[in-house]
Amino acid sequence: MNRTDALIELDQVTKSFGAFQVLKGISLAVKDGEAVCIIGPSGSGKSTILRCINGLIPINSGSIRVGTHEVHKMKTEKEMRPLRHQVSMVFQQYNLFPHRTALQNVMMAPVQVLGHDRREVEARARRLLAKVRLSEKADAYPGQLSGGQQQRVAIARALAMEPQVILFDEVTAALDPETVKEVLTAIRELVDEGLTCILVTHEMKFAREVADRVCFTDHGRIVESGPPAQIFDAPQDPRTREFLGQVL
Amino acid sequence: MALIATYAGKKRTVQLGIALALAAWVCLDAMGSGGEGWARVWARLPILLTGNASGWPLSGGFALNVFLSLCAMAVAALLGTVLGFGMLAKNRLLRVPCFFVMNFLRNSPWLVLLFAMLYIIPFNVRLFGVSIAIPAFVKAVIGLALPTAANFAEIIRGAVQSVHSGQWEAARALGYMPMSIYGRIILPQALRRMIPGWMNLYALLMIATSLATVTGIQDVITTLNTLLAMENERVIVYFYITALFLFFAFCYPLALLARRMEQSVKGDSL
Repeated sequence: MNRTDALIELDQVTKSFGAFQVLKGISLAVKDGEAVCIIGPSGSGKSTILRCINGLIPINSGSIRVGTHEVHKMKTEKEMRPLRHQVSMVFQQYNLFPHRTALQNVMMAPVQVLGHDRREVEARARRLLAKVRLSEKADAYPGQLSGGQQQRVAIARALAMEPQVILFDEVTAALDPETVKEVLTAIRELVDEGLTCILVTHEMKFAREVADRVCFTDHGRIVESGPPAQIFDAPQDPRTREFLGQVL
Repeated sequence: MALIATYAGKKRTVQLGIALALAAWVCLDAMGSGGEGWARVWARLPILLTGNASGWPLSGGFALNVFLSLCAMAVAALLGTVLGFGMLAKNRLLRVPCFFVMNFLRNSPWLVLLFAMLYIIPFNVRLFGVSIAIPAFVKAVIGLALPTAANFAEIIRGAVQSVHSGQWEAARALGYMPMSIYGRIILPQALRRMIPGWMNLYALLMIATSLATVTGIQDVITTLNTLLAMENERVIVYFYITALFLFFAFCYPLALLARRMEQSVKGDSL
């Protein structure tokens, strides 16, 4: 792929937590509209990659570019504000704000951070809640919702920022098997609409279906990447084969 | 029996039994030799409660303890808030001294702090050539407010840090600045966890106001001691039981309310 037309570009990114090096030189380019799944064993640095892309975790060396933002050069939260507008994130533990209703959760950031008009945002929020099939739960607090419902609210909240990219961090890992499906359906729709998505996931079947490209990470490196058919049916690297042999 | 089938039911039965036994003992005693003692207490009750034999105006006694606890709590809230947020500050130069002060105050005996304030704070201060006397009451307020402030600050710090770190992450990912993360996301959640802690602390402070007798203010304990000098030795115990009951009656409902609120803010069920 021609690197310059990539929307997101990571080049030789390293990151250490104390003496432990989590990322040992990650290079990755994601095109606009592409859906990339990152798979790999626990502790291989998958979630850290996502957190580096939107600047939640500062990196030690290398470079990260998202659109025109050079993430590795940003130091303060204030500098990162435009980046956060462009890149949304959905978390494994949902992380909804428990003191606000579902609708307020979706509306908060666009009104308070982006300064959008409240009425316009409310219409947008209700539209997004309808999109994730939760219109009737608009006034419920997160504590009153099931895990799957909370995660769909979290997706609506991420979408309300009108981002170009959404990062999904093991969004179904905390859910029971039945509710996984409703969340995956919501994500699949976004991918089909052409939103750029980077997904860290353990749902191999889902990765195969929605991803344009799958990256396998192990010990802080991207060991192998390619179209899902290639990764899942004809993995080249022995570590990929071993991992897939265990999970499939 | 359905009443004692559960653990909670058994506990309640035992508590009720103890309370009834105590009440029965007091009643029996009052019908016998204790009647005279209670009559003395009854006669002195207005002065114990208000510091005034006629019951009005309020000039001391238990009313002064209540007033003292309210003043000390107000000062402690102010000081504790500054200290609490100091301990949460990112800047080490701010955080470390705050931790030091908090630990020092929290680990000092309240009575020692009261005595210390009694001697450290001068009787008079000269301000712009005007001599202002510092009454014992002010010293008592400051002496009690210091340890309370340290505990108040710890409650703030504990509650803020008990908010799940994912909340910070989510808020940052949505583009919130650190100050508005505190104001809009962390504090609204933490505040609900602070209130029960503060109420418990206030109940503790109220109990500790009995120590303020060392400053010489006319609180319920000082009044009690003065009265006892004129009383028969055998009725002393009735007076102390009364003082005990006054504090209990004031603090126990607060503790109950705090516990109920604690239950309702447990975990993430806000």
